[in-house]
Amino acid sequence: MGKYVLKRIGLAFLTTFIILSLTYILVKLLPYERPLGGDPIQIAYFDKQYNLGYVGRYEQEMPELGKLLYKSPAFHGRSNYYYQVPVLKQYVNWLKNIITRWDWGVSKTYQPNVKASTIIMKRIGYSIRLNILSSVWAVPVGLLLGIWAALKKNSITDHIISTIVMIFIAIPSFVLISFVLRIFAYNLGWLPSTWPPDTASTWTKIKGYIIPVFCLSFAPICGYCRFTRAELCEVMESEYLLLARTKGLTRRQAIVRHALKNAMVPIFPSILAEFIGILGGSMILESLYGIPGIGKLFVLSLNYKDYDILFVDMAIFTTIALLAGVVTDLSYGFIDPRIRMGAKK
Amino acid sequence: MADMNKNPIEFKADDFVLVQEGMRIQDKKFETKATTFMKDAFKRFCKNKSSVIGAIILAILILCAIIVPIVSPHNITQVNSSEKFLAPKLFEPKVKIDPDNIVIGQSANGKGTVEKGFWDGTRKYTHIVFNTEAGVPALSDKYSVAAIKRSLTDIYVYPEPELVDVRSPFGEGGAIVIETDSEIANNDVYMISKNLTFDANGNYTVEIVFSSDTSIDENPEDIGEPVEGEEPAEGEQPAEGEQPAEGEQNPDGEPAEEQPKGKAVLGTYRVYIKTGESEADWIMIRDFSKNYSKISFNISEALAARGLTSVTGQLVFDVKSAVGARQYILVEKVLFGSNENVSNKEALEAASFDDATAMINIADKEDPGYWACSGRKGIHGSSLYYCDYVLDTYMLTYGDADLVTYTKTELDQWIADGWCTYDPKVGPESFVRLSDECPVDSVESQTVLGVTGKLSSITARGWNYRKMGYTEMPKFILGTDVSGFDLFKRAFAGLRTSLILGVCTAAFCFLFGLLWGAISGYFGGNVDLLMERFCEILGGVPWIVVMTLCILHLGNNFFTFFLALCMTGWMGTSATTRTQFYRFKGREYVLASRTLGSSDFRLILKHILPNAMGTIITGSVLMIPRVIFSEATLAYLNLGLQGKQSFGIMMANNQQYLGIYPNLVIFPAIIIALMMISFNLFGNGLRDAFNPSLKGSD
Repeated sequence: MGKYVLKRIGLAFLTTFIILSLTYILVKLLPYERPLGGDPIQIAYFDKQYNLGYVGRYEQEMPELGKLLYKSPAFHGRSNYYYQVPVLKQYVNWLKNIITRWDWGVSKTYQPNVKASTIIMKRIGYSIRLNILSSVWAVPVGLLLGIWAALKKNSITDHIISTIVMIFIAIPSFVLISFVLRIFAYNLGWLPSTWPPDTASTWTKIKGYIIPVFCLSFAPICGYCRFTRAELCEVMESEYLLLARTKGLTRRQAIVRHALKNAMVPIFPSILAEFIGILGGSMILESLYGIPGIGKLFVLSLNYKDYDILFVDMAIFTTIALLAGVVTDLSYGFIDPRIRMGAKK
Repeated sequence: MADMNKNPIEFKADDFVLVQEGMRIQDKKFETKATTFMKDAFKRFCKNKSSVIGAIILAILILCAIIVPIVSPHNITQVNSSEKFLAPKLFEPKVKIDPDNIVIGQSANGKGTVEKGFWDGTRKYTHIVFNTEAGVPALSDKYSVAAIKRSLTDIYVYPEPELVDVRSPFGEGGAIVIETDSEIANNDVYMISKNLTFDANGNYTVEIVFSSDTSIDENPEDIGEPVEGEEPAEGEQPAEGEQPAEGEQNPDGEPAEEQPKGKAVLGTYRVYIKTGESEADWIMIRDFSKNYSKISFNISEALAARGLTSVTGQLVFDVKSAVGARQYILVEKVLFGSNENVSNKEALEAASFDDATAMINIADKEDPGYWACSGRKGIHGSSLYYCDYVLDTYMLTYGDADLVTYTKTELDQWIADGWCTYDPKVGPESFVRLSDECPVDSVESQTVLGVTGKLSSITARGWNYRKMGYTEMPKFILGTDVSGFDLFKRAFAGLRTSLILGVCTAAFCFLFGLLWGAISGYFGGNVDLLMERFCEILGGVPWIVVMTLCILHLGNNFFTFFLALCMTGWMGTSATTRTQFYRFKGREYVLASRTLGSSDFRLILKHILPNAMGTIITGSVLMIPRVIFSEATLAYLNLGLQGKQSFGIMMANNQQYLGIYPNLVIFPAIIIALMMISFNLFGNGLRDAFNPSLKGSD
């Protein structure tokens, strides 16, 4: 088991490393954007970049090095000329900076000269809070609906639940958000139509959570419900459940002790994966509702062409996705030792 | 052997008939029709009602996406803002009221509400200011009263006017509020007239009525009680300025001052005539220190008492400020009076007002020097009629039949095009409309150049839509958006792009994924391991990251979208194919074929693939809605598809109008939701049909 875990984690780490490296190089190959602001900001930025090894500093123009990034104002009759160093060299320096100083870069245009990690840390809290809340709400609701539908299989209840779930799975999230906003924020006026600012009253802030949590949890609720129903239905038709009934257990006992337990084997890892997966937040929801989370940051950094921030944001999304995969596989292995994902087929 | 009665049963040779003789059963041809895997699947699919419904809806939507952009004549490329935000219209609206005779407080249905027709291009507005003068709701100046009247289908004017603190050209009455800033000392506020001439003989009087309404203040403690115990203007109060003696001589005070009803005037205030900039030039008329609901005094007498015969200056009401308390006056009326024969009677009448709202409107718009004020100037308690109404947006946009002047050049062009005939010598009656394309219905008058008598222009009536190039009143089933584009056509044109993108992507991913998955699954071993690692790395990148990077590097055109979607899409198909190949490659029939010497190619194509096909096809079909969804999602992140009609960009742009014009978001949302639902139903049906053992597992 230990070997399996180590192998799985090592592999995931390698994948993450390769993906992040490729992404970094691709982002660095984009046209260079200078930071916004006057000379002090530019000088501070370029000197820092020079020290970190991302740009070269010269005392005269070097046309063979490519486009001049910045020419500092003359000081004692001399100017500094800054040029980009080759991307692969930047990449090596970037790796070095991450390992030695945990330096993920600075913002250029969005908040000039602010560390990327600072910006992310300020925003990630909103996304995490929102997603934990929606998971806390979605998991029980989804499971209960799924169990209910499975127990009443082929009855009218099951059909209604299945149809509603099917419809909600099919409707894109931005459509759903539009409808919810229209009905609850505009028509009825019960809830705020945008994310309340930090200065708002506690009551308004609480109300501000309702729409995003509601919208974020729609898809997981439907997913859990469908998955649970399918698994439970399968288990209910199994022979060991028939045996359980024949040996004298009541339906309730059989379901609680045998069916549910076995049905949870594949469901539990998916809950874990979902939980990690939605830490990334929903970009659409965050930009439509104006939530200052990392999903909104993605859109903002794109609009500002602030590619360092964009890269860090993308790195978070990638890492979260890979982490979710690893956790799913590992939890499968722990819950049901017969299953070893990645084992020889 | 014996039967029930123990009688022996005898068997004869004749009792037995051979089922077959000679030919073996396996050599016989089936009498029933042979069926193929696909036919069988189709039969199963047809039995699934919901999937068939899904397929039908899907087919209709796809047909619409193909046909609508070709058939619909509406323009969706050139911005035409005069046609923006038209309401959805399918039926003709019914006019429930007589627009020339709108009765305040009466509604067409007698319930005090307005009713909007169903899908008839009307829009309902509530609580809008009513223009009592013109008898129509107050709309933008762009629309003529006649056009508004024609467009109204239902209206209900609230029976009672509302008292509001809003400056509106349609308000009435109320009082002007002049307020000091409670934070600043010596910040007097005043209301000052234009230059007026008064003399001692004209018997000039002025009457100022203050409002007794005190509901203006939300902080009653700021107002304070009126000062008690101080007699108004008896002279005990030392007057400010250079004329201390005027109190005793003041003849106009006693009869005119009424006891205050409210707290309309607070603190001390003065009335003087300002003849110059320096304070020495001010002629103090009165100095008050208590609240009054009305004051009136005779300026001529005050002047005479000061020995002045004629004065030209501005009449000023000045309120002394006090720190920590808001000081304000609410002036309802200012009325000047004089002898009949004074020369400046007109100027005085112009300076008088008995409708504060009207005065403030004049001061705002036409004549800034008219009762200028310092401090915060506003209106309080202006009475406004409000109404609910239903308006035909099409009539408002296209139905304006006001007089329009056309030049001779335009007229000549129409005549040359054969749209109409016109004889300038006969005049307007000679106009004959020949074609529906002619923007003019009838000519009202013509202008001729004075000297030569040549026609220079005509003034004519015509409908707006003819001017815009339509031959009849256009109809937009789903309304129009901010650019004046037909939402219906735009939605389906966008859907067409999305579908093309989806089908192209699905086709590529199907082929490539199949190839990749087949090789990986069939050969297994190290080949599989390598290919799998590659998939793992590429698949580990979230699709949004791949798409963003592609778009940033290659621009957001159709090809980039195709490329990026393919890059993320094929792995699904390949994984399915690989699993299916693992499942089938060990089966006996494959083994048998291999023993008979089939090549790998033949095994893959002829034996394994047909069995795996169903699952793979289902996966590929379900990729199309995912592509549509991805495209729309990117548009919401400002990365939408440029250069082609895009469903996502349309929805993302319309999102901001969700509050005012929900139809712009709701209808496309319904279309895309319908598309997604039917795609899912169709896909599920396909899967069940191809693989009945999976049925019901969702």
